Amino acid sequence: MSTIAAPASAVVPTRPATPKPLSCVARFAGREFRDALASKWFLLYTVAFTVLAVGVSFLSLSGVGSHGFAGFGRTAAGLLNLVMLVVPLMALTAGAGSIAGERERGTLLYLLAQPVSRTQVLLGKHLGLSAALVCSLCIGFGVSAGVLAWRAGGVGVGAFAMLVAFTSLLAVSMLSVGVLISVVSRRTAISTGLALFVWLTLVFVSDLGLMASSVVFKLRVQELFGLASLNPLQAFKMAVIVNMNASLDVLGPAGAYASQTLGGSLPWILASSLVAWTLVPLGTAVLLFEKRGSV
Amino acid sequence: MLATACHLIASVVAVAATAQGPPAPQQASAPQPVSVVERMIDRAAPGDELRLPAGVYQGNLVIRKPIVLDGSAGVVFDGLGKGTVITIAAEGVTVRRATVRASGQDVASEPAAIFVGAGRAVIESNTIQDALFGIDLRDAPQCRVRGNTVRSKPLDPERRGDGIRVWSSHGTVVEDNVVNDARDMVFWYSEDLRVTRNTVTGSRYGLHFMYSHGSVLDGNTLDGNSVGVYLMYSNRITLRGNHLRNNRGASGYGIGIKDCDDVTILKNALLANRVGVFIDNSPTSIGSTGLFESNLIAFNQVGLLATPSTRSNVFTGNAFIENEEPAAAHGRGRLMGNDFARNGVGNYWSDYAGFDLDQDGIGDVVHEPQSLFGAMLASEPNLRLFVHSPAQQAVEFTARALPELRPESTLIDPAPLVAVPQTALASAGVPAGTNRMAWLAGAMLAGAAALIAVMATHPSLGPISRGAPA
Repeated sequence: MSTIAAPASAVVPTRPATPKPLSCVARFAGREFRDALASKWFLLYTVAFTVLAVGVSFLSLSGVGSHGFAGFGRTAAGLLNLVMLVVPLMALTAGAGSIAGERERGTLLYLLAQPVSRTQVLLGKHLGLSAALVCSLCIGFGVSAGVLAWRAGGVGVGAFAMLVAFTSLLAVSMLSVGVLISVVSRRTAISTGLALFVWLTLVFVSDLGLMASSVVFKLRVQELFGLASLNPLQAFKMAVIVNMNASLDVLGPAGAYASQTLGGSLPWILASSLVAWTLVPLGTAVLLFEKRGSV
Repeated sequence: MLATACHLIASVVAVAATAQGPPAPQQASAPQPVSVVERMIDRAAPGDELRLPAGVYQGNLVIRKPIVLDGSAGVVFDGLGKGTVITIAAEGVTVRRATVRASGQDVASEPAAIFVGAGRAVIESNTIQDALFGIDLRDAPQCRVRGNTVRSKPLDPERRGDGIRVWSSHGTVVEDNVVNDARDMVFWYSEDLRVTRNTVTGSRYGLHFMYSHGSVLDGNTLDGNSVGVYLMYSNRITLRGNHLRNNRGASGYGIGIKDCDDVTILKNALLANRVGVFIDNSPTSIGSTGLFESNLIAFNQVGLLATPSTRSNVFTGNAFIENEEPAAAHGRGRLMGNDFARNGVGNYWSDYAGFDLDQDGIGDVVHEPQSLFGAMLASEPNLRLFVHSPAQQAVEFTARALPELRPESTLIDPAPLVAVPQTALASAGVPAGTNRMAWLAGAMLAGAAALIAVMATHPSLGPISRGAPA
């Protein structure tokens, strides 16, 4: 902003105008989004996700030909597995590269030299990357929905739209975790490694651990459900299933317990787990970024 | 006699016409006590057809004469919330095209909309609303219950009565009825029944057979009940071409079979139930069998669930497609006492991983499903919380990688089919799909394009170096 200096002949000597905070965030978001579009990771993830989603849609419909009954149910089950594997990986690594990458390239100092607050830089980056991720997911799901429309008719449109919405929320929450990792890491290699570790933990280790504890400690259903819904991936999965079946009874005793005791508030509770996974890491990242040096 | 009847009807219609003026909608006429109808019946000769004038008749009607009661003019029988609305106490009575509503609610006396206590009755095309029991046949053989629509009272499922109950009424035909939100359509101690093209939704057991032998259930649709068809202690039952969908109560079975001999389950479609087929200790007698042929068993949580004691069933030409668990034993155990092929024809399993080199349509490797996660679910049902997650895949992968962890297979199909048998697929109707999914696809792609366009070109999101607006 300081590049625009007031002309020497100006009557009123002015300092450069400080832009409104929100417009700063939007500018950083726009920059981040354009950078993402131009980057290899965005292209790779979009292509990979689209190919996998379309493949899953085709495979899940092939068993019964064009016979559409419950076609989306099976496709959704396949897409669920795919989303839970790929989307956190996309979002965590994208977030992990954000600040650490700039720091390593030295551009972070340049950014922070502008008359903007660190919070604005961070929120702008988060917003821009979120937009890029949602864009990437919309392309993948859009092509996949095209396949479903062609082969299975319009079964489960509402459920599919909710799947896209919850996947976007999952991506944004995992992006927050990635940004937090990025803020605390000095180098890209470290932040990417940490992101992969977190991914592995959320996708496999915590579930397998919870399965083992359920057997060993004879966890009661309410404890099992409570612990599982702390994991953003399980919360995402249960939210999608609740929206599809209006009940969690497909998830056995723990799911039936949750449906019966929580009833209509169940989707909101699961969604709030995802929202918490968005806001808490992002808030922590903002605080740490404000406190820590730019190096 | 016929002449008198005609005269009577004419006079009744004439009286009604003079009383009400021009034909008016039924709500316009004031309700009359049901004794008006009783007097008409008293005057009618046995076998007469009584076309009642439109109107609401309040109270409890008892028919003690073999007549035909036709309510097609817009006749409503209203029990005012007390007792049984219409009681049939004579043989050969027909009640048709009437609306029957508001029976009592006292469970102990089991009030019904129409109670049939005598044989050869015809209950046809009636609309039954707000009744604890809908149509209740007791010791009424050779009846015909056809084309009725029944809805129970708005109570919790366990407090409702049966939509249609057939008790000790041999040779009865129940067809083309629609029952919504009742308890069961139930058959007790009745033989040689024909139960055809009925639809039951939102109830507890769609079709429930208790000690009722030798019957045929054909082309019924059971959707969204706790259990679709539950056969208990009933022998020689044939289920053919029925549709059982979305039956997912706590004990949600498409078809449940408990202690029944010689059942034949043929060309049914069992879709998206909690359990497709549940077999509990059937057949029970030595020398009897159960035959499951050409059924489509797809998208269920468990395709086939059987108690480990189950044996002597034959499965051939069925299509097990994309069930979360294709076949499992209830609790632990295996299903080895049953045959999964007959005369060299097995079943189609969508999880079959073999091949067919000689291209005779029969897989060259036997089908022995081994699922570690499935085995874990059998002993730890709580772990079902983790289905549809990568962790489940990890468990299955581990079992493939480490053979010592591999569980015993639950069944062996010696001649698995490599293509879906067409007879099974034909049993499933294809729902009409709209193309809203295409719209959704277009909307998402357009949204992504718009996002890119706006973010890349909008001036207020322009490059930072361009500076801020003044």
